[in-house]
Amino acid sequence: MWFRARLPDNSFSALAPWQRFALAALVCAATTLIATPLLAYLDLANIVMLFLLAVLLIAVSLGLAPALFAAFLSVGMFDFFFVPPRFSFEVHDGQYLVTFVVMLAVAMITGQLAAGLRQQADESISEALRTRALYEMARDLSGALTLEQVAEITRNFLRKVLNADATILLPDVAGTLQPCAGSDHARLLIEPRFARIAFDRGTPIDCPQLVASGYAVLYLPLIAPMRVRGVIAVAPLDGQKEHLLEQRERLETMASLAAIAVERVHYVEVAQRTQVQMVSERLRSSILSAVSHDLRTPLTALVGLADSLTVSKPPLGEVALETSVAIREQAERLAGLVGNLLDMARLHAGEVTLLKEWLPIEEVIGSSIKLLGRALAEHPVKVALAKDLPLVEFDAVLIERVFCNLLENAAKYSPPGSPIEIVAQTRDGTLEVAVSDGGRGFALEKDTALFKMFVRGEAESSMPGVGLGLAICSAIVEAHAGTIKAANRAQGGACVTFTLPLGDPPTIEEEVPPRKEGHRS
Amino acid sequence: MSEPPPVVVVVEDEKLIRRFVRTSLEEEGCRVFEAATSAQGLLESGRQKPDLVVLDLGLPDGNGIDFIRDMRAWSDAPILVLSARAHEKDKIQALDVGADDYLTKPFGVGELRARARALLRRKNRGGEGATPLVVFGNVQVDLSRRVVTRGGETVHLTPIEYRLLGVLLANTGKVMTQRHLLREVWGASSVESNHYLRVYVGHLRQKLEDDPTQPTYLLTETGVGYRFKP
Repeated sequence: MWFRARLPDNSFSALAPWQRFALAALVCAATTLIATPLLAYLDLANIVMLFLLAVLLIAVSLGLAPALFAAFLSVGMFDFFFVPPRFSFEVHDGQYLVTFVVMLAVAMITGQLAAGLRQQADESISEALRTRALYEMARDLSGALTLEQVAEITRNFLRKVLNADATILLPDVAGTLQPCAGSDHARLLIEPRFARIAFDRGTPIDCPQLVASGYAVLYLPLIAPMRVRGVIAVAPLDGQKEHLLEQRERLETMASLAAIAVERVHYVEVAQRTQVQMVSERLRSSILSAVSHDLRTPLTALVGLADSLTVSKPPLGEVALETSVAIREQAERLAGLVGNLLDMARLHAGEVTLLKEWLPIEEVIGSSIKLLGRALAEHPVKVALAKDLPLVEFDAVLIERVFCNLLENAAKYSPPGSPIEIVAQTRDGTLEVAVSDGGRGFALEKDTALFKMFVRGEAESSMPGVGLGLAICSAIVEAHAGTIKAANRAQGGACVTFTLPLGDPPTIEEEVPPRKEGHRS
Repeated sequence: MSEPPPVVVVVEDEKLIRRFVRTSLEEEGCRVFEAATSAQGLLESGRQKPDLVVLDLGLPDGNGIDFIRDMRAWSDAPILVLSARAHEKDKIQALDVGADDYLTKPFGVGELRARARALLRRKNRGGEGATPLVVFGNVQVDLSRRVVTRGGETVHLTPIEYRLLGVLLANTGKVMTQRHLLREVWGASSVESNHYLRVYVGHLRQKLEDDPTQPTYLLTETGVGYRFKP
């Protein structure tokens, strides 16, 4: 019997077939022995009853085949030992032939019925056991916290109930199916192609031909509510594949239980990871804001104090005034650099969430020119916008940083008095903005390196700066799914061009016609 | 001067910043009182009845937003907020609960004095003496007749454009948050329709500014709102 669980109330089920037949014969012999002394008191009809009882008992306890065997044996023994002339198979009274036939028929029918009942009882007991095992597996799985535990529980179930071995295969980061870590001691051979097909199609794959080679014969996808989570490969331990294939339905139930457990463990991990991430992000952001506060506070004091010196009354002497102006300028520059460093740190820490809005690009162009103020004093800024530029969705504060950095660079690297140009137009589904100056242009051949942190056009340049500006621009533009590139213009001067995707701007409803009021056209 | 000097309370935890803010404002002719914490600041404001409060948003004890709320419960003295860049949300919140203007750290003395002056002037002006005629650049807005002219030519404004201009002019020098402007001009149900505000400010600039891409009067406070600066 393939089902290995012991049936607790039937010690005979473990017997080999020949033992059963021997036992049946023994019971018939015992019946004969018991009946012989009773012959003096009992009618032959009642002796027949004793034999029928024996057959019934055999049928109940040993099954159908021994019962049929016992039926024939009983008839034979009855004839031989009890029907006159005794100790011979001869029968004088023809009526006994009827007795034999009826006896045989009754024995066979009762035996059959009893054995059938027995079998049904056995089956329902083993069914109950299997169901219980499934419940136990479900219970154990609901407590499992790791994938290894899930694999182990599934394996135990299969071993105990289906006499099979199994390996759970789960996709790794690259999507390749790998045996779950807990089951590596299993020497189950896996055909990866079948596993892959089962995983991709979400349907069970069986290949009975593989059974002799020690490979897993059945590949069941672990179909969880969200998606297919993996594959469970099953092989019979005793090499009898039929049982496995007969139990497909049960195996699939088991697979879906395992799948739900795998998915649950997956989400537990996701939740844990998110929590860890949240804690570390909170930490990072609090460190950043502490650093930023600690750096800005003395800089604010420095800028303000130096500035108040320049306007103090009575006015300072010429040299002292020049010094205080220089201190203020240096402090302002330092503040700018620190601001850039902090911006970069924030962008790198992923702390920046874009607050996107639909805006006309000239908003931030105007505000960044205004913001730079003194730094642009020596450079006229020419803004050329194409007509009817659509609204674009971006984070105004961040794109303003981009303009500020680009304008600052342009002012820094071009001779005083030379104009800076900003040109904006739509091109290929993007808004393209170019900021160009009249300086010497970029010295680097490869423009991509310019956008890396701490890369400067000329390493030994006398110009101040640490090369963060363009890196910040690039980080911000990329966060907006745009592109940025640097080039030298044919007529001289550097030109940085960035794009922002156009998207689908919200509609502006036309204003209702003006009422007749004071202002007329 | 017969008028008493304006009183300013400076609430800032950093001593050196407090010092130069104090000297700058004293040169403006103000009497300055200092406070290092928010609690002390509230106490000082209650005692001095200031004409202006300069408030650092990052105070060690409790945040500046609560300070503004507390103070707005009993005083409408203008509040100038000091805050770092990249803290636009804090600025908007401060303005929404009742602050009047903000300065981004680091800031120069000139800027500070100009803002303080504007806030004090606005307070003194009060309701009376306000003229129905606002002039900036070559633009003239006659509020009583609802007529806008630029270089002598009448400028046609749609009702919404006029209403928006009116709100900005009524709050000269003051930063108006986007939410505030939307509520005032389009109504409470439109506070999420930022793009309307953007487009109409653009219209106003086209009609009133010499170079709409580099406005000098209708200024953008990026991430916060708009300001009219005559």
